[in-house]
Amino acid sequence: MPLILRAGSIFPWIPCILLLVSLVQGCAADRPRPDESGRQTVVDDLGRSVSVRLPVRRVVTLAPSVTEILYAAGGLSTLVGVSTADDYPPSVTSLPAFSALPVNFEAIVALQPDLVLATTQVNNPRDAKVLDELEVPIFFLRTQSLNDVLRNVRTVGMLVGTEKIAFHTADSLGRIIERLRNATDTLSSRPRVLVLLSEEKLFSFGIGSYIHDLIDLAGGKSITAQIERDAPILSEEFILVQRPDVILGTFPEHVGVAEILSFHPEWSGIPAIISGSVFAIPPDILLRPGPRNIEGSLKILAVLHPDIAETLRLTD
Amino acid sequence: MRRAPLVLAFTAIATIPAIVIAVSFGSENIPVGTVYQVLLDFVFEQVNDITSPEFKIIIRLRLPRILAAFFIGGGLSIIGVAMQALIRNPLADPYILGISSGASAGASLFFLGFIPPFVAVWLSVPLAAFSGALLSITIVYLVARTSEGLSVSRLLLAGVAMAALMGSITSFITYLSPDPNQLRDILFWLLGSLARNTWGTLPLVATTSLLGFITLLLLSPHLDVLLLGEEPAAGLGVRVELIKKTLIVLSALVTGILVANSGAIGFIGLIIPHVARSIIGINHRFVVPLSYAGGGIFLIVADLIARTLLTGEDLPVGIVTAIAGVPFFLLLLRRTQYKFS
Repeated sequence: MPLILRAGSIFPWIPCILLLVSLVQGCAADRPRPDESGRQTVVDDLGRSVSVRLPVRRVVTLAPSVTEILYAAGGLSTLVGVSTADDYPPSVTSLPAFSALPVNFEAIVALQPDLVLATTQVNNPRDAKVLDELEVPIFFLRTQSLNDVLRNVRTVGMLVGTEKIAFHTADSLGRIIERLRNATDTLSSRPRVLVLLSEEKLFSFGIGSYIHDLIDLAGGKSITAQIERDAPILSEEFILVQRPDVILGTFPEHVGVAEILSFHPEWSGIPAIISGSVFAIPPDILLRPGPRNIEGSLKILAVLHPDIAETLRLTD
Repeated sequence: MRRAPLVLAFTAIATIPAIVIAVSFGSENIPVGTVYQVLLDFVFEQVNDITSPEFKIIIRLRLPRILAAFFIGGGLSIIGVAMQALIRNPLADPYILGISSGASAGASLFFLGFIPPFVAVWLSVPLAAFSGALLSITIVYLVARTSEGLSVSRLLLAGVAMAALMGSITSFITYLSPDPNQLRDILFWLLGSLARNTWGTLPLVATTSLLGFITLLLLSPHLDVLLLGEEPAAGLGVRVELIKKTLIVLSALVTGILVANSGAIGFIGLIIPHVARSIIGINHRFVVPLSYAGGGIFLIVADLIARTLLTGEDLPVGIVTAIAGVPFFLLLLRRTQYKFS
């Protein structure tokens, strides 16, 4: 949150309000027209046509990242239920929670949502069929980059009728991203970064993941960006050949070089281990494709290029 | 066997309370009174109140799922009867002989885009599952055939091997696919789940299941004769080869389509026909319908357990049927003196 507030002081207010107004108008023009029953057809990120009465009053989210998008879009008051994995913002823990994997359809129906928000990242598109038959509209969001996060915030704002807040938030986030990009764009040397999900099993991120965007923004180069699978399980050999300069992971905080070496003794010769560059990143700001990813990118920047992070902090 | 018709009538009637009980429970607690009100309104007055969450939960979610459980349970159970008559041994079952895993492999191959959709999607998945099932049972059958007839030990070993092979194929292709839901899909195909059954998926399941039931009912006199052995049966004028081929294709068809809908749910075809025979004897005119109704009720109950055991979670129903089925299978194996006649 402080991030978003601080963003206001970076730029003078006038141009951003002008921009905001023009964007809201642009969006209003795109808004689909209602049919006789007052329902409108919107197209989600899976290309499905979803018929829904706008603005949506009762929303259920199927994944924490979607809840965070809804929050950023200013639509938290429409939220009536979340998955059991949700914990941000903290107030959502007092809402009714249901199992999302596998989907507890009964619990969702009982919450009487006007719209279910889901993400292609964790929710199964086949579940949409069941909800379609139950005449519960479900809208899928896809995130493959930070731009997608901003786009999703705007889309959700449009769905729940909080365009102004959503566009303002997305613009503020966009400016922070822009500042970060300006600071890291011209870097001559980019450390080669390996991102892992755990210190033992080598789960990572392949082609089309927004994670590479976060690393790029933080002035690094993700070594798994070209792997053809979405969620690859890397081989030890791959890592020995790729020789990452830095290892980042959603590890428990105490995990460092010693713990990594205890699971992967063969890695002792790779640069990240030699230089002691093993860092734990809090899972939520990395694994949930949403506004807090920018916080994740700043954390990574602080690790990869502490000097740049310091300069950015001073100019704020 | 005077009591056979009585047992049969009793079991058939018991289906109704089984459905009513199953519909009363789920992850959401709906008062039983409300459940029956919604059910009665729907059945007798055709009330279709899609705006009420109770209506959606009971009529749109639970009811089609429970009916699907009945048809799938019944279908898998009588395919067990058919396989047991075919090899003249009570240890056969579509799951144990690798038919179910063959169907899973076929369906998952299609689902993950390895087979092009040459016909409409709703037809191609069952078709792929049918092909997988047919391939699997044909190989098992050919391996087990000897000059003296079918070798039971070979049959079981070949079945286990084919089941493992087909299961690995399913896991392998699911693992290969770019679909991020891979691991959950592997669970779905290997352990079975009724979670995605709706009114839309019910007609195909019900038609297939009833088709299998009626065919086997019509064949039941021949099945009785088949138990005497192939030569005596041929001597009595039964066209043994034709019947055998019909049974194999029917088993692959019914298992294939049911598995394409719900994954490989195991052991129903083993437990239910055995219990049915121990109650009313080996006359297939009674064994087939009793196994059908019994299998239906069994899967309704297994699914009820799967839906309610963990609060708010759907267990794959195959876990429940396997926990009930494997000890049963081992017990059957011990009782080697078990005979049909």
